[in-house]
Amino acid sequence: MKVAIINYGMGNIYSIQSALRYLGCASVYSNQHDVLYEATHIILPGVGSFNKAMKNLQESGLDRILIDLALNEKKPLLGICLGMQLLGQSSTEDGYTKGLGLVEGTVEKFTPQISGIKIPHVGFNAVHHSREDSLLLKGFSGDSDFYFTHSYRMICSDESCAGEAINGENFAACVEKGNIFGTQFHPEKSQANGLKLLVNFLENT
Amino acid sequence: MLSRNFRLQKVGDARWLKQSYDFSKIAFAIDELVILNVSRGEKNIKRYADNIKEIVDTCFIPVVAGGGIQSMEDVETLLSAGADKILVNTALVKDVELVQALIERYGSQCVIGSVDFKYADGSLDVYIENGSEKIAVGLKDYISSLVELGVGEILLNSIDKDGTGQGYCMAPLQSILESVSVPVILSGGAGRYRHFIEAFQALHIDAVSTANLFNFIGDGFPLSRDKMIKAGINLAIWDRSEEQHLKNYFKMEAPDV
Repeated sequence: MKVAIINYGMGNIYSIQSALRYLGCASVYSNQHDVLYEATHIILPGVGSFNKAMKNLQESGLDRILIDLALNEKKPLLGICLGMQLLGQSSTEDGYTKGLGLVEGTVEKFTPQISGIKIPHVGFNAVHHSREDSLLLKGFSGDSDFYFTHSYRMICSDESCAGEAINGENFAACVEKGNIFGTQFHPEKSQANGLKLLVNFLENT
Repeated sequence: MLSRNFRLQKVGDARWLKQSYDFSKIAFAIDELVILNVSRGEKNIKRYADNIKEIVDTCFIPVVAGGGIQSMEDVETLLSAGADKILVNTALVKDVELVQALIERYGSQCVIGSVDFKYADGSLDVYIENGSEKIAVGLKDYISSLVELGVGEILLNSIDKDGTGQGYCMAPLQSILESVSVPVILSGGAGRYRHFIEAFQALHIDAVSTANLFNFIGDGFPLSRDKMIKAGINLAIWDRSEEQHLKNYFKMEAPDV
């Protein structure tokens, strides 16, 4: 097993590397196409703006590589936080930006209808299963806490949504579509729950 | 370590912390770790970043770094060492441009406004520069201005209560906190788990923090957490037994690159 973490200049990947190291799993942080093709699993990290992230992916040609790795090579791909949002079709952050289009969903800012709902949504929050067959949430009780920090969320189809959390509304906390996975939360910052979810991703795919 | 009304106490380095307090165990009972650089005088950001790395290696929760941040380069160094959020205090008054640039580049969720205050003669005064300089704006207006500026969270620290272990400053804050639209972390004064519970019950806050490791030695943190959950405080629940079971789960042979 060899995990490649995509290097496209948008990320805080030290903790992801630490988490994988804790699990005893080898990882590389790379933008080299051949290294990515050699990996068994791909992680797309990301912190920052959607627009900038897509621009970086496009400029390095990594957008096409990621699509090829996911759709043709069928490599298990996990997008984390902004990385999950990039899997969607588009985002309204800084205008309109097209995403990778690997998951049917659009990314929009939270628009709280109830007072007392704080944006950004920061902190641990419970994730409920949306689907019985979720691979990422396999073995979780259905009320497990994960760490979130975001102002935008993906509005996606029911079949892609694997888990939901509540922040004034139900929103997609994680998505699954075949070999393509995404978590809006940070598994690498979610205590034992997050480590267990990473094991699920690495072991069940 | 900053303690006793902001007098500095040296207790040891990151390694000492790990060894003396079985830090990874404590870390599995808290939601977030704030690592402050409280060294006086010239701050060595590189060494501070190395300390963060060492802690982050076995600590899978969000990490906040701050103390003496003066440039975007400082911030980059800390974020690439594994920090998730940056805490700013004096810069909120003296270098607003830096804070704005930080928020623009990394987003509101990355920036915590640290506010030190004193309560005296019925008024809540704000201090910067490690609590040494009082500013003209009162606490309520100051907090509003920080929210306006775009900080994602506020860490509110009582200088009078800090290090006393006698409980948080609560009554004077009650009305002020009701209308704050970003998450608020209360700090300064906790000595027992009941202080955490009292604060959550009395105030509109999102988190409590403590630096008082001496009062929470051994199982102090896990026990406090259990007591808080029993008292009905809405905290995240983790299976703490998982953590050891997951260590080296895949039995890596080749070191990572």
